[in-house]
Amino acid sequence: MSQNSNQRSVVIVMIEDDEGHARLIEKNVRRAGVNNEIRHFADGTSALAFLKSTETTANGPLLILLDLNLPDMTGIDILGDIKKHDRLKRAPVIVLTTTDDKVEIQRCYDLGCNVYITKPVDYDTFATAIRQLGLFLSVMQVPDA
Amino acid sequence: MSALPTGAKSKRNDVLLLLLGFAALAAVGVAAAWQLQRSAELNEQITRALLYKTDLIHLLSLVQDAETGQRGFLLSDDERYLRPYEVAIGEIDEALAGVVARADDRGVKRDRIETLKAALKVKLNELSETIALERAGKREEARSIVISDRGREAMNALRGVVGLIMARQDEILAGRVASAKLNDQRLLAIMVLGLLIAGALAWASQAVLRKQARSLAEARTELAHANEGLEAAVSERTAELTAANQEIQRFAYIVSHDLRAPLVNVMGFTSELDAARRTLKDQIDRLDDEESRRVTTEARQAIEEDLPEAIGFIRSSTAKMDRLINAILRLSREGRRDIRPESVSIEKVVEAIADTMYQQIEAADAAIEVKPGLPAIVTDRLSIEQIFQNLIENAVKYLDRSRPGRVVVSGRRVGALVEYEIEDNGRGIAPQDHERVFELFRRAGAQDQPGEGLGLAFVRASVRRLGGTIRLTSEAGQGSTFHLSFPAVLKSQSEGLAA
Repeated sequence: MSQNSNQRSVVIVMIEDDEGHARLIEKNVRRAGVNNEIRHFADGTSALAFLKSTETTANGPLLILLDLNLPDMTGIDILGDIKKHDRLKRAPVIVLTTTDDKVEIQRCYDLGCNVYITKPVDYDTFATAIRQLGLFLSVMQVPDA
Repeated sequence: MSALPTGAKSKRNDVLLLLLGFAALAAVGVAAAWQLQRSAELNEQITRALLYKTDLIHLLSLVQDAETGQRGFLLSDDERYLRPYEVAIGEIDEALAGVVARADDRGVKRDRIETLKAALKVKLNELSETIALERAGKREEARSIVISDRGREAMNALRGVVGLIMARQDEILAGRVASAKLNDQRLLAIMVLGLLIAGALAWASQAVLRKQARSLAEARTELAHANEGLEAAVSERTAELTAANQEIQRFAYIVSHDLRAPLVNVMGFTSELDAARRTLKDQIDRLDDEESRRVTTEARQAIEEDLPEAIGFIRSSTAKMDRLINAILRLSREGRRDIRPESVSIEKVVEAIADTMYQQIEAADAAIEVKPGLPAIVTDRLSIEQIFQNLIENAVKYLDRSRPGRVVVSGRRVGALVEYEIEDNGRGIAPQDHERVFELFRRAGAQDQPGEGLGLAFVRASVRRLGGTIRLTSEAGQGSTFHLSFPAVLKSQSEGLAA
């Protein structure tokens, strides 16, 4: 992922409360040959704290994988927060969630989400989707934060 | 509404009062009539007394006329002067008869009449005697009779008795006149009383009417208030129900999503497990004979049979669970969908469904019949289509394969409702399952057809959302009939339960 064009490699920030999902996503992203650092957060508060820390903003480009169903706040709130942030707003956000409600999808794109992916329950489909996402990530250009 | 009993009581009192008033008025009328009658009687009596007096005077004057005639004749010896006598004599008998005949009626004592008659007789005898003597030329004898005072005394007696009788009549007259006066005063009093009662009645009537009008107006106002209250209560209740329903919808939605998340893990790690097993199996398969013998049969069986079997069960179960969760999601999503009433021709809907199901219908050797006169309905098109789709699909799906299938759709308009029936000659539903089949994930009869037990649950939820009801009559082995009833015109969605 953008290793060639950028000095600093992109950090993938995964905000996902389900440890199992997080592990499965990571496994499949790795299987697609993506070797970037993946930072996993299980709740919105700590994720936002990390994203907004000066250390992070100074540390190069980010890509955010966001789940909508979180224990402390909804992914929608986090998305809104990120897209209102001066520097974070340029970071691509991929919403990866179980919800396939049309209204929800629309709201996410309205708020500035870049890709919305529904987690398929069927694992083969899930694995394929994540692997394709991984391939997608490997060719994607991410702006410097 | 609590004012009703006292209101009824006062109404009864009003009516009683009016009735009493009318009774009093009627009594006054009867009394007045009686008094009038009596007054007439008194007047009659007065008239008769006066007439009697006139008759008496007439009789007396006749006698005087006769006497006058006699005197004149005696003085002049001229027959012409006798004329008054002759006229009077001709009338006296009749006049006397009249007086005598009514004597009893006029309260005249019999001895007075006798005295009258006697005096009259004496007088008339004296007159006729003197006249006869005069005519015979015996003037002196006649004059001596006159001078004898026989005639004068008789005349005096006559006057005396007539005077007595007249006095008696005057007495009676005075009594009658006093009575008549009293009677008239009484009549006047009765009339005044009658007028007063009539006036009071009129006043009471209008008072009663006004009171009733007032209480009617009050009742109407009260009713209007009650109606407003009722409407408010209904809309409040509806709002509560809508809120509760929305809560349930949200709940179902959230729960199904939360159920889905762990399912992703179960499926995912099952696959990972399978992948790991395959790795192990490949490893074992690649072992040469020597090494292979060291692998126990149990280990080989575990990898080649037990693990795949277990993984297979986990997969099929999670797949099933996923379908169930999707069903709940679909139900809750359908409940959140906006309802847009429009005119829908059920006949066309059923025909369209029959067209799309051509294959299944052919395979089941079945026919779908639409009875003529199927009424149209104003409702949500998508919902009603789904309802008929599910019911007709079910009917075709559960036909009895041993006989040609027949599905009949009929309907009619009943007042503000439309009713539809979907009747089949399929395998039917046992009585104990009539309610159960409408429950989520429940199915009835032999489980020989694929399905999750969602269709009828979905149908019932949709029917309720359209303000309708669904009912089932069926006999196992004979067929089933689903009875649908909807408002002919569905109100707009804001009034729907789950808008």
